[in-house]
Amino acid sequence: MTETKKIDVGEGAAIPSRSDWGLFNAWVISIVGAVGAIIYLLLVHPEPYQRLLVYLGDGIVITFQVTISSIICACAIGLITGLGRVSKNKAINLVASTYVEIIRGIPLLVQLFYIYYALGRFLNVHDLTAAIIAMSVCYGAYMGEVFRAGITAIDKGQTEAARSLGLNGKQTMFMVILPQAWRTILPPVGNEFIALLKDTSLVSILAVSDLLRRGREFSSETFLYFETYTLVALVYLVITLILSKGVSIMEARLSHYVRR
Amino acid sequence: MKRLFKSLLIAAACSVLALGVVGCGEKKEEKKAEPAANATAAAPAGPKTIVFACDAAYPPMQYMNEQKEIVGFEVDVIKAAAEKGGFKAEFKNVAWDGIFAGLASKKYDAISSSVSITEERKASMDFSDPIMTIEQMLVVAKNDKATDLAALKGKSIGAQIGTTSYLVIKDVKGFKAIKTYDEVGLAMEDLVKGSIQAVVADSPVAVDYTTKKHADKIKIAATLKSDKVENIGIAVLKGNKEVIDLVNKGLTAIKADGTFDKIKEKHQMK
Repeated sequence: MTETKKIDVGEGAAIPSRSDWGLFNAWVISIVGAVGAIIYLLLVHPEPYQRLLVYLGDGIVITFQVTISSIICACAIGLITGLGRVSKNKAINLVASTYVEIIRGIPLLVQLFYIYYALGRFLNVHDLTAAIIAMSVCYGAYMGEVFRAGITAIDKGQTEAARSLGLNGKQTMFMVILPQAWRTILPPVGNEFIALLKDTSLVSILAVSDLLRRGREFSSETFLYFETYTLVALVYLVITLILSKGVSIMEARLSHYVRR
Repeated sequence: MKRLFKSLLIAAACSVLALGVVGCGEKKEEKKAEPAANATAAAPAGPKTIVFACDAAYPPMQYMNEQKEIVGFEVDVIKAAAEKGGFKAEFKNVAWDGIFAGLASKKYDAISSSVSITEERKASMDFSDPIMTIEQMLVVAKNDKATDLAALKGKSIGAQIGTTSYLVIKDVKGFKAIKTYDEVGLAMEDLVKGSIQAVVADSPVAVDYTTKKHADKIKIAATLKSDKVENIGIAVLKGNKEVIDLVNKGLTAIKADGTFDKIKEKHQMK
């Protein structure tokens, strides 16, 4: 009486393996497009692009310097803050939380002005140092939240198991929780890295001779605004893409390690 | 092999795509520049309103007072010239860096921002009659003994971005760093707190900062000699005769009847 409903079972959707579409991913298209455009501009319009790229040269180095130094400092600050935020010690927890709340509530641009010009009245720091401090302090707070989220995402059973095996609190955190938390932490941290790199363009407000400042100098003098900002944008894009590739390679390694 | 071919194909396609965009942008810009002169001519009858862009962070020439009004010597000059020249002057506060780009894209009719008349700038825009002559001055800390650029070798020096002051120091070798600032005030601030050891600025601005704001901390070390006379004037798009004629008419009138000198006195200009 009852009709048995037949369900067609197809072959199922094929899950694309990495090698299938690796060539056509957004990253490859973007990097090839950006590098190709730069090379084309340099070869087909050597004037002014070659002169422009030479002029931007030391700015690119400064942008790299600020980015790398800030990433390292921000990670350190972020880790400490993240640990502070999950700490059972009320005082430490309060300090870390207050730091995050205050820094998150102030725009980076204002922080830059504040550290360089406002605090500069009492404490004269070099422009590059001020830039790195401001970037690290700001992104340290954001990363602190990422670390906290990563740490709290680890199942409580892990802590319980580690503690019952006789590990102390510190050992549990550094040998059991954190190594697992890296996996969840890395993708958002990678995003923070890229955001940080782009935000380094703000430090040009302190007259730091970074990539954007060099571009502005060049364009304000030659009036070649179109050419200058086209090249500046392409150079930022290339640097960002390289950084994002670095992060995704790290991610792939980590997930591989975990799967095994 | 197939992979290699594929990636080359994509590379080629992407470059073409990216450059197509770049190429179009260039063409459009050229096209835009042409009808510039006619654009303002189509304005309705009556006293013509001319919108002047100025970077209101340049005391005593143009700055914001506490009532958030744009005031200053050049502002008063233009207002007086407007009365005599028969046009209405409106001011728009625009950041210096990019003020010329804004003129090129017709965001305003003219620039009244202590713009020095230089050969390079004349190539891309037209200027009114000179308003006044200025010089480049070297500003240092009160206790500094330097009296010329040579004495500052190995030190850091600053100027506002895209100004003739920056051109003076741009190609001088031997400085530890040449820093460019968005506003001349930020350069002076850096000098006061010791991050840089000297600032080059237009004479009215240098005098203003060393006699008013930071009189106790910085001083004028020297006037930098140049074989060219540096005048400031109103800049307009190339070929915009209508605006230039109105401004020149006003300027001539106020210079003839003594209004200009009165404004100078009011602002304590030399």
